[in-house]
Amino acid sequence: MKRLLQTLIWTAVAVLGAVALGTIAFHRGEPINATWFVLAAACSYLVAYRLYSAFIAAKLLALDNTRATPAERRDDGRDFVPTNKWVLFGHHFAAIAGPGPLVGPTLAAQFGYLPGTLWLIAGAAFAGCVQDFVILFCSIRRDGKTLGEMARDEVSKRGGLIAQLAVLTIMIILLAVVALVVVNALKSSPWATFTLAMTIPIALLLGVYLRYFRPGRVLEASLIGVALVLFVVVAGQWVADSPSLAKVFTLGGVTLAFAIIAYGFAASALPVWLLLAPRDYLSAFIKAGAIFSLAAGILLVRPQVLMPPLTRFVDGTGPVFAGKIFPFCFITIACGAISGFHSLISSGTTPKMIQREGHARFIGYGAMLLESFVGVMAMVAACAMTPGVYFAINSPASIVGATPEAAAATISSWGYPLSGGTMTGLAHAVGEQTLLNRAGGAPSLAVGMAQIFSSTIGGDRLLSIWYHFAIMFEALFILTVLDAGTRVGRFMIQELGGRVWKPMGRMNWMPGILLSSAIIVGAWGYFLYQGVVDPLGGINSLWPLFGISNQLLAAVALVVATTILLKMGRLKWIWVTLLPMAWLVIITMTASYQKIFSANSRIGFLAQANALAAQIAAGKIAAAKIADTQRVIFNLRLDAAVTAVLAVMILVLLVEALVQWYAILIRTKEPVMQETPYVATQWAEAD
Amino acid sequence: MQKLRQQFELALRNFWRGFRQWSGDSAYETYLACAQRQKATKPLSRTEFYVEQLNRKYSRPNRCC
Repeated sequence: MKRLLQTLIWTAVAVLGAVALGTIAFHRGEPINATWFVLAAACSYLVAYRLYSAFIAAKLLALDNTRATPAERRDDGRDFVPTNKWVLFGHHFAAIAGPGPLVGPTLAAQFGYLPGTLWLIAGAAFAGCVQDFVILFCSIRRDGKTLGEMARDEVSKRGGLIAQLAVLTIMIILLAVVALVVVNALKSSPWATFTLAMTIPIALLLGVYLRYFRPGRVLEASLIGVALVLFVVVAGQWVADSPSLAKVFTLGGVTLAFAIIAYGFAASALPVWLLLAPRDYLSAFIKAGAIFSLAAGILLVRPQVLMPPLTRFVDGTGPVFAGKIFPFCFITIACGAISGFHSLISSGTTPKMIQREGHARFIGYGAMLLESFVGVMAMVAACAMTPGVYFAINSPASIVGATPEAAAATISSWGYPLSGGTMTGLAHAVGEQTLLNRAGGAPSLAVGMAQIFSSTIGGDRLLSIWYHFAIMFEALFILTVLDAGTRVGRFMIQELGGRVWKPMGRMNWMPGILLSSAIIVGAWGYFLYQGVVDPLGGINSLWPLFGISNQLLAAVALVVATTILLKMGRLKWIWVTLLPMAWLVIITMTASYQKIFSANSRIGFLAQANALAAQIAAGKIAAAKIADTQRVIFNLRLDAAVTAVLAVMILVLLVEALVQWYAILIRTKEPVMQETPYVATQWAEAD
Repeated sequence: MQKLRQQFELALRNFWRGFRQWSGDSAYETYLACAQRQKATKPLSRTEFYVEQLNRKYSRPNRCC
């Protein structure tokens, strides 16, 4: 009887999900209610978790709850700490959920809501969750080894080095692109700039409090910090209203870029307790609060989605970034569907804290489903605004024009009606001088969130406060990624440098700290500066580069996972990791090829460089601008080279893995696994 | 009614304990309990543990994009 009831309930969930997916896929003409998105996503995730993850857990991985995990065997109260599965789920989710699932779907909304939403749901269920789950399992069975260590041990030494280099490269591109998102959000906005600037002294204050006055009392310090941050969000309005103060905090893109570069250097070189850790605590609380508020807001307001399912830009002529749905939708939305970076979390901290192997399903697969849900909500928030407004905020001036009237005329001519007055009025309502040409996704997401929040609390009166709260929330946790990433990058450079020159590898040697901090900050700072001065807005070139590198890292993770599973003799079910891996290789190789060689100058780096070079040769560039144009040409060629290097790295790793797989399959080589030996759990119950 | 209240209190206590664990607020208590179990001769002080824990945590990727 119970079984029948369960079957009926799951059948109902599956039918409801299918109806909701069908509705959003085939709906045409009138706006569609956001409830359908929530239903489609939630039901699909439930079914995927109930069926597919259970299948992977039982058949592919054969999770064993009688086997002691590293947390049990090596419990030291520091790294290896057995942790309740719900708490660890929260930890893992907080670690994997960054700005990616918010920004990527917002940018991909230029294709319409349908491609991005379907990729978010299907990509997560069949690729992203699988990667996170399987890598977590592999790392648990290897005492919490990192992806690089597993690649070295299970694929080849060269594989390990490639994984390490891929991580460093993606880190540099990632830091540059997220910094660019912050720059574009703060540009010419004294309110937002003041609010974010004030989070630095607040973090320093908390750092001193937590270090000297109340060591480790994270909750009380975070409570004080969150109250102060909310206060500075409101105080930002007074700054914006004061002519003298507003002038101080009204900064251009280049100035902001240098300020963020200096901040990154400080965060990397200063003691971690002073700035980085307290900012991370603040960010974690505000992130959790804002994400749950957004979910609650969407459920309460149930906004109409005004963006059509498919826009005219499916043909690749989009103003936000150039390129067709295939492959660009799939690399624009990385986090939220599949993100290689997650494999670093799944093979770092989490496997050392897991109590039971069986928990890997809930934590690895489940947390990624929740992140995907965040991505769907970001898509709803972006698509709930008028399409014209969306394009005006996200398109660079070189395409739509720099004035409200020019932008309105261009965007209206595309079939998305917009008046200049609408943009001026909206900017005024959210307390900004302008919302035009804010490529990067953060401002349009903030407008969407503010509209949803203000429909729940405060109405139009609080629209400007909500907008700046959303900007602060996005910028705060982007900066947390930036400073934490810069520090990790510094450690990587010190480790690599230590192989060449020993003192460099000493983590507390000050000249080494300063030099490696300067190298990592200089690397991402260069790409950031290049993005800020890019005539096409920077996002057009940097976000695809980030997407490609992130998805390539996911391919690396799946290559490692597939190799390990083959060695375990799971040939029958190997398609579970092999198919998403093949898909990632196809989309990243296609995107890399197009970004390097496409004849369309808005897509291909080399084509754009050649077009600019031809303009200089033909005397079409003013003498005063020739130096700037030559710099842009150099940057485009550099981007092409970086893309090519990334593609070559994955191809080399793939060949290494194929050789291994072949040897295993034809049995010329006995598979050697580096798994830790079985030890039976001493804990009474295996739940 | 009293049973319901007890269950509610238990749920609240569990939530609070989980929340403290999630935020890192109870990390030192966890460490001390482990040190006691393993009969460590001289466990770290709260301040030493806090700084050491942060240095470890932020030397590897712990925040994603």
